[in-house]
Amino acid sequence: MAAGPYNYSYIFKYIIIGDMGVGKSCLLHQFTEKKFMADCPHTIGVEFGTRIIEVASQKIKLQIWDTAGQERFRAVTRSYYRGAAGALMVYDITRRSTYNHLSSWLTDARNLTNPNTVIFLIGNKCDLDAQRDVTYEEAKQFAEENGLMFLECSAKTGENVEDAFLDTAKKIYQNIQDGSLDLNAAESGVQHKPATPRITMNAGVQPPNKEGCAC
Amino acid sequence: MDQIVNENVSAADLKKYEGLYLEQQRRGHVSERTQFDYALCLVRSKYAEDKHKGISFLMDLLRSSSDNQTMRDYYFYIAVAYTRLKDYERALDNVEPIFKLEPNNKQAQELKTYIKKKLKNDGLIGMAVVGGAALALGGVVAATIAAVKKS
Ligand SMILES: Nc1nc2c(ncn2[C@@H]2O[C@H](COP(=O)(O)OP(=O)(O)OP(=O)(O)O)[C@@H](O)[C@H]2O)c(=O)[nH]1
Ligand SMILES: [Mg+2]
Repeated sequence: MAAGPYNYSYIFKYIIIGDMGVGKSCLLHQFTEKKFMADCPHTIGVEFGTRIIEVASQKIKLQIWDTAGQERFRAVTRSYYRGAAGALMVYDITRRSTYNHLSSWLTDARNLTNPNTVIFLIGNKCDLDAQRDVTYEEAKQFAEENGLMFLECSAKTGENVEDAFLDTAKKIYQNIQDGSLDLNAAESGVQHKPATPRITMNAGVQPPNKEGCAC
Repeated sequence: MDQIVNENVSAADLKKYEGLYLEQQRRGHVSERTQFDYALCLVRSKYAEDKHKGISFLMDLLRSSSDNQTMRDYYFYIAVAYTRLKDYERALDNVEPIFKLEPNNKQAQELKTYIKKKLKNDGLIGMAVVGGAALALGGVVAATIAAVKKS
């Protein structure tokens, strides 16, 4: 932490949701580590990752909660939706059932987040085009009907993974700029970290685990 | 791992899942799911008493489970609870069995590293306290000797 308390000016909270095995943890890993995990066990409850990105020359820290898709974790994972600025909703293009469940994931996301939460639909595993079970067109239409952003990605090859995370952040940032996202609202999912003058920095340092508060 | 370990359950959730549990208990049968949901709230409660209760619920579930996946989940949350209680030895005892069930589990690996780090820090703080006390005592003895010598 030699670079001072904040080397970013915003914190955005994200959640990743969707059926088990669609590749949520692999997407997070690809985004934070630029690596693919070939055999990845089912997530226990929730995993966490961060990365600092840049939007409109502002540094933004993404705090990403990757939830378990297994049904028995539904009670725990629901508690992480509150206060999310962005929600990545993932299905697997080779498994139709994971696409069919999207409306139930979307209902949860809508009910448990706030109206300004940016929801991004990801059709993952697009490297497996030969096994495709959901067409691009129908998913695109589903996204449009529900006002979602949409991309097909591959956590394996990395295709479009950066764009999904970054486009979500750009949209959130845009909502801040045009005033539709109120930063003072308790559950906006965004924290602003105004640049503090050097001298007062040491006095007013917030402990790192405070800022990482999941509530 | 800090974020996962330090995350507290909301009062509303704790109350909700406690209510479901008590309701089933009143009717004479608590389902595995209800006990699990309530236990995961208790583990993430800020009160030590709740965490202990969560641990005993999970241990109870563990005894009646033979499925590797669910056993893995129970061990993980028992370990998280002990970590939150700063009982790092018991936390380690409950991470270890996960590797028998899933040798490459990354979450368990990260939790283990986290606990070991905490254990080491606590050890250092303990040594500093003992060392500090010894120094202070040494000072008193030296001062007494000097005083005795003077008189
Ligand atoms: N071919 C291919 N395989 C993938 C891709 N993404 C993930 N996988 C594989 O799909 C399996 C499941 O991936 P995970 O990331 O664990 O899935 P998850 O959504 O986190 O699952 P839960 O934690 O149970 O909710 C793993 O074996 C991955 O290797 C992808 O883009 N392409
Ligand atoms: Mg996962």
